[in-house]
Amino acid sequence: MPVLTVAQINRYISFKIKEDKNLQGIMVRGEISNFTCHYRSGHLYFTLKDKDCALKAVMFASAASRLKFQPEDGMAVIVSGSISVYERDGAYQLYVTDIQPDGAGAASVALEQLKKKLSKEGIFDTAHKRPLPVMPAKIGAVTSVSGAAVRDIVNVLSRRYPIGELYLANALVQGENAPDSICRGILKAEAAGCDVIIVGRGGGSSEDLNAFNSEKVAYAIYNCKVPVISAVGHETDFTIADLAADMRAPTPSAAAELAAPQVQQFYEKLEILERRMKNGALAVTDRAGDRLVSLNSRLSVQSPENRLKIGGERLGGLEKRLELAVMKLIADREQLLARRAAQLDSLSPLKVLSRGYSLVYQGEKLLSTAESLSCGDKVRIRFGTGEAEAEIIGVKENNEN
Amino acid sequence: MTFEENMKKLGTIVTELEKGDIPLEKAVELYGEGMKLSAECRTQLEKAQLKITGDGTAQTSEEE
Repeated sequence: MPVLTVAQINRYISFKIKEDKNLQGIMVRGEISNFTCHYRSGHLYFTLKDKDCALKAVMFASAASRLKFQPEDGMAVIVSGSISVYERDGAYQLYVTDIQPDGAGAASVALEQLKKKLSKEGIFDTAHKRPLPVMPAKIGAVTSVSGAAVRDIVNVLSRRYPIGELYLANALVQGENAPDSICRGILKAEAAGCDVIIVGRGGGSSEDLNAFNSEKVAYAIYNCKVPVISAVGHETDFTIADLAADMRAPTPSAAAELAAPQVQQFYEKLEILERRMKNGALAVTDRAGDRLVSLNSRLSVQSPENRLKIGGERLGGLEKRLELAVMKLIADREQLLARRAAQLDSLSPLKVLSRGYSLVYQGEKLLSTAESLSCGDKVRIRFGTGEAEAEIIGVKENNEN
Repeated sequence: MTFEENMKKLGTIVTELEKGDIPLEKAVELYGEGMKLSAECRTQLEKAQLKITGDGTAQTSEEE
């Protein structure tokens, strides 16, 4: 019996396994555990488990990059691949080419895929979202008319916005035909001239949201010419309809509230309009009044009375100026006269008298010498003030002094 | 005229009045018309009752 090396054995087993068609191109159901993603290579390593057994699995980065979802521990999956031997360790493993979520997971993965696709196509773009109309005349509701959603919408709108019109487009909200039915409803509501359209279903119904996760409905909402409010009545998950709609409401009632303003608002609006109207009218009459006053005053400026008054005022002014000029002239002359008089006065012989000198007259003749006088002569003495008659009682010669 | 049309017209009248450069007679006329519209709007609000129309399948549906 020949002695073999370990390598030979492992290579042989590897060869045998590769040859076995039952182990190549197979699909294995199990649960992922010990999941790791090699940080550098990007290869995925995990163990596929079921109740009793475990199978090592590896997925190379090239295959892993094609996965539409991120595998996690505990995820139920169906794995495609082939069994092969890792000769170095003498271990066989499943070399994985694809992983699909098992059961319900497939649908959710498909949904994620659809979301991604629609997102890429711009169906969810916020730039495409339109504002809701402030005062919609006609509100469309696309839903099952026998459902709770309709009742809620009617109740809210009757209370909040009775001035409007509600257009009901009946639609199946679940089942195979639901997407087409909803699309038709949206088109009908649009054609009926609705200003905003609520698309949804009652919150109490089953968890089957498929219709609201369909591509058709997403496009119908996206292509609708008027804003669409989604009201799928599901608090946790956002359906594709929610993402495509211009506005998402958690319930049909909330959608109705978003769709229509409160009627109370209109009373306030009316009051504001009335006030503005009053102010506007008042401004116009005020302006007319002001104009009248201004024209009136301009007119009165031009009246004959006013012109006379103005003429009179001018005349008065001239008279005043004339009077002032004359008075100034007189004052100037008076001053001059006073100055001259003062000059004259200082030269007057009378001024000398006021300092104690006296003039002596004999008859009308002013005496400057005593020569001609003799005792008994009568003379008149003029003082600074007053005069006196005197009689000479002695004469002295001047040279005697 | 619908409520919305009345409101719209009222809005136009108010804007016109607020411009101010209109003859007094016109202002008086607009004001009168506006007040009438406003009263009409109030009546419409008070009397309003949600009008429900549909695509005709409303009565025949039984599915939810």
